[in-house]
Amino acid sequence: MSAITLRNVVKRYGAVQVVHGVDLTIDEGEFVVLLGPSGCGKTTTLRMVAGLEDVSEGELSIGGRVVNNLAPKDRGVAMVFQNYALYPHMTVRQNMEFALRPMKLEKSVVDKRIADTAEILGLSPLMERRPAQLSGGQRQRVAMGRAMVRTPKVFLFDEPLSNLDAKLRTQVRWEIGKLHQRLGTTVLYVTHDQVEAMTLADKIVIMRDGYVEQVGTPEEVFAHPKTTFVATFIGSPAMNMIDGRIESGRMVAEGISFAIPARYHVSEGQAVTLGIRPSEIKIAASDDAGALDARVEVTEYLGNEALLDLRIGRHEMVAEVPAADRVEPGRTIRVRFNEAALHLFDAQTGKTLAL
Amino acid sequence: MDKPSTRQAILVYTLLAIILIVFMMPIYLIVSSSVKPSPIMFQKPPAFIFPVTWEHYVDLFTMRPFAKFIMNSLIVALGSTAFSVFMGSLGAYAISRIRHKRINDVAFWILSMRMFPPIAVVVPYYIIFKTVGLLDTPLALIIVYSTANIPLTVWLMKGFFDEVPTALEEAASVDGYGLVETFWRITLPLAAPGLAVSAVFCFIFSWNEFLFALMLTGSEAQTATVAVMSFWSSDAVQWGRIMAGSFIILIPGVIFVLTCQRWLVRGLTMGSVK
Ligand SMILES: Nc1ncnc2c1ncn2[C@@H]1O[C@H](COP(=O)(O)OP(=O)(O)OP(=O)(O)O)[C@@H](O)[C@H]1O
Ligand SMILES: [Mg+2]
Repeated sequence: MSAITLRNVVKRYGAVQVVHGVDLTIDEGEFVVLLGPSGCGKTTTLRMVAGLEDVSEGELSIGGRVVNNLAPKDRGVAMVFQNYALYPHMTVRQNMEFALRPMKLEKSVVDKRIADTAEILGLSPLMERRPAQLSGGQRQRVAMGRAMVRTPKVFLFDEPLSNLDAKLRTQVRWEIGKLHQRLGTTVLYVTHDQVEAMTLADKIVIMRDGYVEQVGTPEEVFAHPKTTFVATFIGSPAMNMIDGRIESGRMVAEGISFAIPARYHVSEGQAVTLGIRPSEIKIAASDDAGALDARVEVTEYLGNEALLDLRIGRHEMVAEVPAADRVEPGRTIRVRFNEAALHLFDAQTGKTLAL
Repeated sequence: MDKPSTRQAILVYTLLAIILIVFMMPIYLIVSSSVKPSPIMFQKPPAFIFPVTWEHYVDLFTMRPFAKFIMNSLIVALGSTAFSVFMGSLGAYAISRIRHKRINDVAFWILSMRMFPPIAVVVPYYIIFKTVGLLDTPLALIIVYSTANIPLTVWLMKGFFDEVPTALEEAASVDGYGLVETFWRITLPLAAPGLAVSAVFCFIFSWNEFLFALMLTGSEAQTATVAVMSFWSSDAVQWGRIMAGSFIILIPGVIFVLTCQRWLVRGLTMGSVK
């Protein structure tokens, strides 16, 4: 029993409200990622689950039990802190032992768990060192190890990979995923890195300014963003946005009209925002009547693909094209949007117009 | 910084030597006078070479129960130090961790007790201890010294506790430890240098204190500092015994400071948080 439920959870610091009524259900064994820009309340939410911050309003339960007033030590969660929080007067081994001691396990079990965890995280040669004698990345792995040895029911991670180099980050990310599959632990994982979110999550929770913008699988948040914020936050390079208006049942922007995919509900004259992913902007033939004029400002070569920074009317847009099709900067080309892949949002509210 | 030149080095060492001589001179006088035969004690110019005698030390322990007075001093000083460091740490921890806009006023109020002129309260203390029957007991001195030592410890330890990141305590609480255990196993060990500093200050103050010890003790609980002064009477000042007693009084303080010194290390919390 380790499902986590947040019901209208609010956090206030004095008069300042930083988390506004979060509703969220994390099923047992689920890997949920809290994703959002800096300062949006991810850490605060995680700390409320851990019991390190009081819940100002609402209800928080773990395993069916309301834990609003339960001390952290009684919640059965393990946490990896954003700033490590290693015990500086203990060696790496002692740090792990310390985390295990309240569980009152047999010495042989403790030793085996520590050895296994050290092996997984590549900490074996560092076991007798103190935190001050470790690099940033090594400390981060110790922080992970200290949480992992406990094999808790609920795992809380606060940006555990932020200080690792690219190679180690991929490796540890993979280890976290594997660990989750093996142990079936419920995980709440905070990050502002969307690659981590997309690769690890069963479910992504996208937060902004203390509000939950959207909850969904990685596919859902990528393919069906509910707001312009989610649309531009997920996906790299970010989705292009153009202002437009509904005229005669078609969406008109920059003097070009597009057919509206059937999944959208619009009304005549409505101001809308049109979103198009860079990969859905195609280079068109010069005589294509439904295409737009685009001036190529910058070309970025990425290997398989190239990014074209385009100026279309008064909009800056990015197109992702096969590297072979890339164009010299300064030229004007014709581009066509893949109409089936258009996203439509209400220009006022930023909410999707999908049915 | 550049490597100091030879001239700088000479300057620095000369200065250090002068300071050392100034500070060590009284100690030299104590030591030499304590083993000097009485007749040549005040010879001018002072004799630097003289027959060493132990008679002052022998007198000290045979004419008076000086060993007992030393014991009293130890009981009082160690007792007050232990009690003050314990209570002071708890108070300091509370002040360090409680988030309240008036908490600094509380801290200052506690420290202000230390600023009280001791002599103003000697008589009230005398009356109180006489009433409750604690006159001439080590406990009376332990209580009095603790009222001065606890505020000092609170102030010293608050600074050290402030340096221990709260994230460590949070980590321990998530790991399954309660408040007391977290304090005992994480916070206090990381504030160990503060404990050492506080203990040194408390011990030295209690060990050297004279006024309260003189007023509140008689023959039973008399401390070494008071005992030494009893060799000073209106008709004769027994300098040899005073010096011998003074030298013995110096020793425990030095031992205590040296013992505590190994805890005075910096950077204990290095590497704990980003
Ligand atoms: N103790 C506090 N008192 C007042 N405001 C706070 C406190 N802690 C956090 N906040 C505010 O709450 C908001 C959310 O902070 P939080 O640490 O949860 O952000 P985050 O999403 O984890 O950001 P990051 O990605 O930078 O770690 C921020 O605006 C922050 O300034
Ligand atoms: Mg954070």
